[in-house]
Amino acid sequence: MASSSEPPAWDTFVRRPADVTCGVETPLVLRDLRPGRAKYGLRHVVGVVHEGGGPGDPLAVRTVVGVALPGAYTVEIVRHLPQEIAGTPYQDFYAALRQAAKAPRA
Amino acid sequence: MIFDDNRAFVEALRRSGDLVEVEKEVSWDLELGAISRLACEKDGPAVWFKRVTDYVDEVSVFVNPVATWRRIAIALGLSPTATVREIYEAYEKGEGNPIDPVEVREAPCKQVIRKGADANLFDLPTPMLHEGDGGRYLGTWDLVISKDVDSGWVNWGMYRFMVYDAHHLTGFPRPTSHLGKVFQDHYAAKGKAMPLAIAIGTDPLSHFAAAATYALGGDEASLAGGLRGRPVEMVRCETSDLLVPAHSEIVIEGEVLPDRVGLEGPYGEYPGYRTGEMGNGILFRATAITHREKPVLTVDATGYKDDSSTVTALSGALAIKRRLERHGVPVRDVYVPPEGAVHLAVMSVDYGGQEVARKVLRVLTSRRALLSKLFLVDTDTDVFDMGKVLHAFSTKCHPANGIHVIHYEGRANTLTPCYSQAERASQKGATVLYDCTWPGEWSREWETPVKATLDSIFSAEVREKVLKNWSEYGFKQ
Repeated sequence: MASSSEPPAWDTFVRRPADVTCGVETPLVLRDLRPGRAKYGLRHVVGVVHEGGGPGDPLAVRTVVGVALPGAYTVEIVRHLPQEIAGTPYQDFYAALRQAAKAPRA
Repeated sequence: MIFDDNRAFVEALRRSGDLVEVEKEVSWDLELGAISRLACEKDGPAVWFKRVTDYVDEVSVFVNPVATWRRIAIALGLSPTATVREIYEAYEKGEGNPIDPVEVREAPCKQVIRKGADANLFDLPTPMLHEGDGGRYLGTWDLVISKDVDSGWVNWGMYRFMVYDAHHLTGFPRPTSHLGKVFQDHYAAKGKAMPLAIAIGTDPLSHFAAAATYALGGDEASLAGGLRGRPVEMVRCETSDLLVPAHSEIVIEGEVLPDRVGLEGPYGEYPGYRTGEMGNGILFRATAITHREKPVLTVDATGYKDDSSTVTALSGALAIKRRLERHGVPVRDVYVPPEGAVHLAVMSVDYGGQEVARKVLRVLTSRRALLSKLFLVDTDTDVFDMGKVLHAFSTKCHPANGIHVIHYEGRANTLTPCYSQAERASQKGATVLYDCTWPGEWSREWETPVKATLDSIFSAEVREKVLKNWSEYGFKQ
């Protein structure tokens, strides 16, 4: 497992830099960067991203070709979404994630 | 010698000097990937990492099994110094004599069985191969088994999978791939989950068969038997009725979900680039993991000159040759050089010209258009000698009349680096053919240039004299 003694740190992938929306609740796929066997495990959340040293855990943002954006970000996790998101295979995953975030909470 | 499992193949590589065994502890998190990538780029040996951080004494990792023609030759039971042409001939012979698999009840891959919640994907040292990849990629050197529920056809393929969490993988078998088509047409359309098994670390020729460019409906298990000269032993899965190679190191059983999705990619793939394919794949839920004691995870460090390029260079070239023959193209030899990353093929033909060029383009792009650059050469150009091919291209391809292009949509290779994100999204692309043959209407007596090589521009008498006295002139070779 990812080491639970390490402070949380995450990264996320976006299609375009403009997809990074700060200060509002946003559906995200976060990758766990804590060392250990479960490093790089993914989870679906709704979170608030802050740029330039806001509250929350450190967050790196990578683009569609895997390049890390230079800005310093943090993320506050508001709530978790299911690991199995309803959607159509081969269709836009991010659209399915946004839909999942809109679904009424159980 | 033909190998019944991965371990016997590794032993043969050790004997031939084509293996490095790394005893030093190496991290699965980028270090292993960086070492393996450099080994590929240097045409280096296969690598067996014995001690992988977080997994020491549990699971080891064997990388780049057949990324060189030497190791391909060894896998086929040939001398390591066999020529590419000899390797093609051996493969073609095995392909022409398929042998059906046999089912067995007991198997090494069942030495350890974990089901349900105990089947934890993080118990495998799946490497983070490239910095910036979307995740840890399992199944870069695998054998993925699925079944068409309607016809009963069993498909083997080699497809990438990304570790999502302890019990899920995401993958991107192209929608036009055999697996992609079967899943969409026969399972997803009916709202049914598709059983899938991912076998890792089987005998090398079974992996060849899985990676082979084979006709839809073709039986890769029998192809593997033909290449091996004896049947592949298969054993039934724990949680589905699929059969998997009994001597696999690791088998991951599960199902592809028809109405659930996860993020997939990006990933540094066989074209040698991370192209930005991200998001629109399939989600797999693991139901069991079975493996040998102290299993060996097999990995292709994908990128420039990787295993998949080399294997596809072999089976893809033969598939192209067969297809062209079926459509009446006067083809002699086909070569898909590994350096071309399965984007480029060279074909020699008895005669070229506008009509042949257009036909080749149509035939090779009608269903899936993986190749984007084609070279048509005369039979006096050795397709396996890229220096000669470059010479033919430079001198014989007319810069205006010798270039033929076909455009298409819905079947382009979405991993082709030169396509834009928009083209990739609509699978829009093009293939260019360079006709490097002399026009058929040119007179051979007074119009066609004469090649200035020893074979072509001197009489037999002069040639024989020079060859006979070669060493006497003082030449050593």
